[in-house]
Amino acid sequence: MHIPDGFLSPQTYLPAYALAAGLWWVAARRLRSQLDAERLPWLAAVTALAFVLMMLALPLPGGSSVHAAGIALLAVNFGIWTSFMAVSLVLAMQALLFGVGGVTALAVNALALGLAGSAAAGLAWRIFQPIHAGLALILAGWASVVVPAAIIAVVLGIQPVIAHDPTGRPLFFPFGLSVTLPALLIPHALLGLGEGLLTWLGTLTLERLRLRHVA
Amino acid sequence: MKRDRLLLVLYLAALVAVTLVHDPLALALGLLGLLLLAGRSAPRLLHRSLRVILVFNLAVSLGYALLAHLRGFSPWETLLLLNLRVLFLTLLTFLFISRVNLFSALDFSPTLSWLLALAYSQALSFQRAHADFRLALASRCLERPRLIDRYRASAAAAAWFMDRALATARDSALALRARGFFDA
Repeated sequence: MHIPDGFLSPQTYLPAYALAAGLWWVAARRLRSQLDAERLPWLAAVTALAFVLMMLALPLPGGSSVHAAGIALLAVNFGIWTSFMAVSLVLAMQALLFGVGGVTALAVNALALGLAGSAAAGLAWRIFQPIHAGLALILAGWASVVVPAAIIAVVLGIQPVIAHDPTGRPLFFPFGLSVTLPALLIPHALLGLGEGLLTWLGTLTLERLRLRHVA
Repeated sequence: MKRDRLLLVLYLAALVAVTLVHDPLALALGLLGLLLLAGRSAPRLLHRSLRVILVFNLAVSLGYALLAHLRGFSPWETLLLLNLRVLFLTLLTFLFISRVNLFSALDFSPTLSWLLALAYSQALSFQRAHADFRLALASRCLERPRLIDRYRASAAAAAWFMDRALATARDSALALRARGFFDA
């Protein structure tokens, strides 16, 4: 679920790039202060991990599946800023090396999926973890899908208002909020449950793997 | 300025410029120009571009056509503009990818260049491992696995990739340190 090229107006993606550039700088400084000289291979490995997590199947009833996001797994295990940087790098790699996604929409996608998705997951994890760890992971996974979907729905839905010709004809994404909000939020609210389940099971399996390494 | 870096700058400038054009005829002529520039690879790049944009653009176009029909206005000019712009931008990106070495274009920043090269090579290796996981699940199931089993398979793959990523990071750091990368 990320926006391809050509659907966002320059009035949207240029300010988004300015905002994202500032936040990438903050994230890079935070990572530098948290990690030692080995931050480069570590960030590269987490980026590759984010890349492959986005390829994993999120099974749907009936035998079909969609791609998982993996953002909650990243945010809970590696922190919000690392997750933001890794997801941003994956989106850049997908756009500039594989031709998937959008270069003009990269900043909006990075802010929605990488930052808002990670922050929502991290927040849900912190709030609910003292109550029940499993529930917190499921909610983190759900929030990491629903919050970005809501942001993307709003960004797409305001395009006809901010970018139209003198006759009112839309120049970019043509549907308003009344269409984008239900079209994106309803399916993602359901997909978020699957993402939550995957986050929970993935973290449980990782803990078992780590215990095996220790043993 | 190096060729690849210059082409990267021109490509980024062209992306912005295309989103400032709202005349379908100008976009169609630009698209024609791009196809001429692509030369013999034009059919392949056009096919790739159309394949990438097909699902999203078809959904948006059909939805908008239906909305226009219900509300009684003509959608064609908007749809022509939107689809031409998206096709132009996608074709431009594939042409850029086919002609420019991104690693060389980004070598003004050794850190960025290294990061991209490390992440890309590991991503390709993970991509192959992911295909193996998929085939392993398929080959071990005589009948379609249950929903919960498919979730367990995805979760096991996710955990394995996380574990592997951390091990790879340690190996890469040791290899880079051994080669004096952190001494600079």
